[in-house]
Amino acid sequence: MANLNIDAVKERTFQAIVIGSGMSGSWAAKELCEHGVKTLVIERGRNVKHIKDYPTTNMLPYEFEHRGQIPLEVQKENPIVSRCYAFREDAAHFFVKDKEHPYVQEKPFDWIRGYQVGGKSLLWARQVQRWSDFDFEGPARDGFAVDWPIRYKDIAPWYSHVEKFAGVSGNKDGLPHLPDGEFLPGFPLNVVEKYFQYQLKKHYGDSRHMILARCAHITGNLDYYAQQGRAKCQSRNLCQRGCPFGGYFSANASTLPWAEKTGNMTLRTNAVVHSIIYDEAKGKATGVRIVDTQSKEMEEYFADVIFVNGSALNTNLILLNSTSYRFPNGLGNDNGLLGKYVAFHNYRAGISAEYHGHLEYTTQGGRPTSGYFPRFRNVFKQETDFLRGYAAGFSAYRGTYADQSGIGMELKENLLNPDKYGPWGISSHMMGETIPKESNYVALDPNQKDEWGIPLLRINVEYDDNDEKMVKDYLEQMTEMFEKAGFTNIKTRDDRRAPGLDIHEMGGVRMGRDPKTSLLNANHQLHAVPNVYVTDGASMTSTATQNPSLTYMAFAARAAHHAMKTFG
Amino acid sequence: MKRRDALRSLALITGGLVLVPSCDFSKEDILAAYKNLQITPSLKQLLAGIADTIIPPGNIKGAADLSVQDFILVMVNDCVDENGQQAFMKGLQAFEGFSKKTSGKNFSKLTKEEKENLILSGLSTEEENEKDIRSFLETTKRFTIQGFMLSEYIQTEVKPYSLIPGDYKGEVLIADIKTERING
Repeated sequence: MANLNIDAVKERTFQAIVIGSGMSGSWAAKELCEHGVKTLVIERGRNVKHIKDYPTTNMLPYEFEHRGQIPLEVQKENPIVSRCYAFREDAAHFFVKDKEHPYVQEKPFDWIRGYQVGGKSLLWARQVQRWSDFDFEGPARDGFAVDWPIRYKDIAPWYSHVEKFAGVSGNKDGLPHLPDGEFLPGFPLNVVEKYFQYQLKKHYGDSRHMILARCAHITGNLDYYAQQGRAKCQSRNLCQRGCPFGGYFSANASTLPWAEKTGNMTLRTNAVVHSIIYDEAKGKATGVRIVDTQSKEMEEYFADVIFVNGSALNTNLILLNSTSYRFPNGLGNDNGLLGKYVAFHNYRAGISAEYHGHLEYTTQGGRPTSGYFPRFRNVFKQETDFLRGYAAGFSAYRGTYADQSGIGMELKENLLNPDKYGPWGISSHMMGETIPKESNYVALDPNQKDEWGIPLLRINVEYDDNDEKMVKDYLEQMTEMFEKAGFTNIKTRDDRRAPGLDIHEMGGVRMGRDPKTSLLNANHQLHAVPNVYVTDGASMTSTATQNPSLTYMAFAARAAHHAMKTFG
Repeated sequence: MKRRDALRSLALITGGLVLVPSCDFSKEDILAAYKNLQITPSLKQLLAGIADTIIPPGNIKGAADLSVQDFILVMVNDCVDENGQQAFMKGLQAFEGFSKKTSGKNFSKLTKEEKENLILSGLSTEEENEKDIRSFLETTKRFTIQGFMLSEYIQTEVKPYSLIPGDYKGEVLIADIKTERING
């Protein structure tokens, strides 16, 4: 910065900087830009423009050289990302390859990442279940982590705000522990899923429910979404390629173009954030240091307010690497808790079965969501020998198949006329809440750096006894419910996957009431540096069982409005 | 020195000249593409014959019409592990011997029915010394089915693939579904 002059500083000065352009960063950017705030959005990856940069979105099956499969050589080079269900030939270009961005696994952790404009919002499974006070009050009631500094009433209007803009399809189910939202028409449950609903009612009264999962897909109010340039979900079920209709919510289709249209957004891509600049004299953060991924040059950008939305673990990394005389252990890290109390969702267990009823029915078409079991364990009071509980996916499916036993003309005719129906297939997978603990943490590697000179992240996260008990309970309870419903050939599994593959890593920069035990206050500001906001997964005090993205989006929108009120 | 240079030039020239027609026959260039396999043109032809027996031509084109053998080789080369590749190659190389031993003739000399019987017996053999034949045929059958069903021809002309399959219906009576039979 030898040639620093006033003009250059001016060109690099904005009212707000948002680090990260994905699920939560794009929401902060949208809210800020929409209200006239000159905002710089910094993204470490390349640009991905809606539609234009979805190279596979309209490809037909035969246009994929390996018909979707990832070649073995690529799998061997990338064992971590290869374990992700969506890392297939049609979407591989949106995933981080292992060797390009290494990290240190003190304990096995499958860190799944998407480094591009839009981040993982292009790739997510689009499940958007609200939290309730049974979740926000969890740590206080059950004595773990620290008390959330907010409650459902604080976030409820922001859930509504986000749902309305993103587009959420679902049914009003009237469950206190899974509050209803601003819903567009829901996709239908099928005949066997409805049968299972009825069976639950019959055997468990009103204590267990299986409902339609709420998903971020447009199914109505089309004029409203047309303003965003988005159209109705076409049920293509090719979401992970990027949707040319904008049928599901992604930053690329929705929030970012909206922010851009205001003329207030500047997007800086290929820029890895090195650290946040803290000015001792002013007693606040004044900007962000980035390393250009191509030139490897360091640059500085300045703003009054900084939003850190780099995805949970990278947000931790950035703050840990933001050291100064005032904060030698990372920005805002006076209590030494930055990077600690990381948690995730336990997706280890699943169950499958068959059902030989309703054989005269089948399904047709595509559905981008499934059934959903809201948590039923320890909701209203503590009932088991483990804390918290699990939600679960649930779906019943039926299709045709072809007899492939023979060869020759018989085989050919069978393949071309797949008219045999088997029994219904039933499946479910658990989504368990894990307990944030100090011993589950991330830290900077003292020696190893990446190619931009930024320390590698060391990840120390593992299961505990509570998780093991929960896996066992899920399999026992599901087996019991499946048996009562008359499902047969029940098969349970515990795939013992490493943490991380759930892609719901959270914590490290948790919210709380007390600066001694938390990093962020009720408005998502760092206690010690109030012009820095963290509203992605890093801010989570506990994990609940619900898919977390909707909550990050609501946090980001709420915090952006707080920043505008507070910092003009 | 001069002699060596002259020879090199000659090799370059003839190599260059030979390359042109060899492109027409699509021989060596294509085979070099399967870098993990040692595929000769005759082995590839044999593979095409086997795939075409598994899914023969009729009203609808067969496996060889759609060059399914190319797809099989790409998949074995790129997506099958080393053990699987070795078993595939051993089985492919031993297949003519298996044909002679079982039917007394080379595969290409067999009638359609004899070819089918030979493949069926290879697919079901329990003989320890024929396990590579079985493994090879199982792999070939699997990729023949995949390559045929997901070929451009099937996906556009026979059973057109829809990028937009339509709204989800969760309660459809099978009796109400009418599909026309496709005669192979």
